[in-house]
Amino acid sequence: MSLEPQELSELKSKIGREPTSTELQIVAAEWSEHCSYKSSKRHLKMLPMKGPLVITEKGYDSGVLDVGDGYVVTAHIESHNHPSAVEPYGGAATGVGGVIRDILSAGTRPIAIFDGLRFGDIEKDQQARWLFKNAVTGIADYGNCLGIPTIGGEVEFDECYENYALVDVAAVGFGKKDKLIKNHAKKGDIVVLMGGSTGRDGIGGSQFASDSLESEDRSAVQIPDPFIEKLIIEAILEARNENVIHAMKDLGGGGLSCAISETADALEIGIEMDVSKVHTRESDMHPDEIMVSESQERMLIVTSKTKFKKLQEICKKFRIRCSIIGKVKSDNQMHIKKGKKTFAHLPTDVVANATLLDLPSKKPSYLKTIEKEKKLKTISDYSKTMMKLLASPNIASKIWVYGQYDHEVGIRTVVKPGRDASVLRLDHGKFLSVKIDGNPKQCYINPREGAIGCFEEACRNVVCTGAKPIGMLDHLQFGSPKDPEIFWTFLESLKGLTDFAKDFKIPCVGGKVSLYNETPVGPIKPTPLIGVIGLIDKQPQIPQKIIDGDYLIIVGDTKDELGGSEYFEYIHKLIGGKCPTVNFSESKKNMKSVLEIIPKQLLKSVHDCSKGGLAVAVSELSLNNQIGCKVSLDKVPGKKLAVDRVLFSESHSRYLLIFDKKNLSKVEKILKKNKTSYNIIGKFGGDKIQFVNGKKSVIDLRVDKAQKTWLNSLRDLVLHG
Amino acid sequence: MATYNVHVTIENKPGISDPEGETILNDLVLKGTHKTVSKIKTAKMLKFTIKEKDKKTAESKIKEICDDLRIYNPMVSKVTIDVFDA
Repeated sequence: MSLEPQELSELKSKIGREPTSTELQIVAAEWSEHCSYKSSKRHLKMLPMKGPLVITEKGYDSGVLDVGDGYVVTAHIESHNHPSAVEPYGGAATGVGGVIRDILSAGTRPIAIFDGLRFGDIEKDQQARWLFKNAVTGIADYGNCLGIPTIGGEVEFDECYENYALVDVAAVGFGKKDKLIKNHAKKGDIVVLMGGSTGRDGIGGSQFASDSLESEDRSAVQIPDPFIEKLIIEAILEARNENVIHAMKDLGGGGLSCAISETADALEIGIEMDVSKVHTRESDMHPDEIMVSESQERMLIVTSKTKFKKLQEICKKFRIRCSIIGKVKSDNQMHIKKGKKTFAHLPTDVVANATLLDLPSKKPSYLKTIEKEKKLKTISDYSKTMMKLLASPNIASKIWVYGQYDHEVGIRTVVKPGRDASVLRLDHGKFLSVKIDGNPKQCYINPREGAIGCFEEACRNVVCTGAKPIGMLDHLQFGSPKDPEIFWTFLESLKGLTDFAKDFKIPCVGGKVSLYNETPVGPIKPTPLIGVIGLIDKQPQIPQKIIDGDYLIIVGDTKDELGGSEYFEYIHKLIGGKCPTVNFSESKKNMKSVLEIIPKQLLKSVHDCSKGGLAVAVSELSLNNQIGCKVSLDKVPGKKLAVDRVLFSESHSRYLLIFDKKNLSKVEKILKKNKTSYNIIGKFGGDKIQFVNGKKSVIDLRVDKAQKTWLNSLRDLVLHG
Repeated sequence: MATYNVHVTIENKPGISDPEGETILNDLVLKGTHKTVSKIKTAKMLKFTIKEKDKKTAESKIKEICDDLRIYNPMVSKVTIDVFDA
């Protein structure tokens, strides 16, 4: 129970009497931070949510984008941080389940899953390794059983997540525009609960997610059952085709309490329900428990009495339980009964709309000095540094992770994971590219520029496939909002994202806020995670094999921006320095040029520079193609910098273009026309990765040796410690 | 020192769902003629053989091993330990 004293008195004054125990449970679940967004909602309004492609409908849990020819794409992002921190396998798996049901609620078929994972330092911390290994297995088992490909994501390790886990899951759906569920209900309609049975698992989960993780003694553990989920998906889609669904909502945090009150409030109806009609796992469950249980794999459906027969037939065919638990009324009340006895009777707008808070914020004092750099130790051999970086958990290949996910099931995956962004084929000849990105190291140093950087990086990744960004998902993860310094970082990140979204005209189509992410050693670093959805009208840029003699151009300037970089943090153990900043006009210009060149089919590969900077980006190309390269650092555009800064700066808006020599003049023509800053910095060939500065060799690595390290070090670390 | 066989049974806590057990019940057992069965729960059992001075020490030693090595997750699982003379 986590209603605060003033919330309790507020509830009393709103309903004019003492609440019953069931009412208290319902309101505590719905007014929790997790369900009500009470700390953040007031501010989230600043994000632009509308756009020419955005379709809005009341009661949608996912964002809907019109992709033309009568088709829509839906997208949503969720996290399951608290449950995953105590039971990584089940927590991560049920996280996948939840976000998939949000996609399903709109009446679209889920076609892809993405996951962003963050853990403590797996090199030192055995607990972090255990969490990582099990969360990955949980996602793989669940997604693979459902036949939905997991095609992208990211993994990052940082000491701030000690004894904790951030498990973010995004999903994308696809469907016909005329089959979208137009949520509506009228008096006399019936309310149906379908799917798994309601048990004692996950009781109080949403309140749990809104408290800091202090004690481990919680019952909020949920057991995944992907087979029921699969049946639910097929049953719902068939029911959608038969037009028997008036309105639909998935049961997530807050269980029935939230699903009933939010549906009633969104549709401006009343719902009377009888808890004795809910199919339960155990016979002796109290109404309070039934109302707040967060048992997985359940959907709430509103339909009419006449259509229910058909729905029942469909459920029977897929062997899913469905029970009529209540009826729609016109009194805007949620009335919870057991048999004839009333347990709760509340106005839905009171339940569904917690009083929003206006929390104080204050600039954290650590930010005053964080951008000052300390003196770095001198490095005599950059080849060694490079090998160390290629083996580091944040940079090493994540093939151990995505290799466990079925990323091809559904035969839509055109560009597979392991590159910049994956690409999916849609039914009408267009392609979809999606990427999620975060960077807590940079967001800690500068919450605003860091968040913008995540946004731009996700855009860059979809641009590399030839896709134009059409929508964004934001997932804002912070510590306790009651700490004014943390709340300031939340607001700064949000303002940054809003500015970028408005300037680039990329609407926010969905999101989630997860607060109170506190570990036993303190709050996590600000961790906004941004998903960008891009659309390709014709051909995607499918990476082709790079061969001897191919040219390498870098687009965009390299600046002295190493704050939060892997080079500073992993090699020099330095947290601080100048955070990379996105110059909006430069960013737009570079994006435009790349998107203009790709459809002309002049390029073999396009890759962005991000973690580890230019040195890592070029090495990844070499390692993926098993070919050497020679890059001249003195030719990299930007102000003159020391070699280590050119190698490892994580400046944004930079793209690497690889192409056959014969296309050089055509590529240059477009870059020049757009006045893009670029230069030819090297050529591929041989069996060594070489970086030179003038005539001086800076890095010289054998491709085969570097590849072995890069591909295997993460797996070795997880499996052998 | 005596030799003991120690059986460690790991199952989901009561109230936590057990999809595997439910599937075996609904899709296998109840589909036949065995209508008297009402519940099936799955569990994992580890059988240890250990040399210790007495039964009690054998039990506590095994418990310690299971806790230390994260053989089960205390959040999800219930553990029962039975000790037998070898």
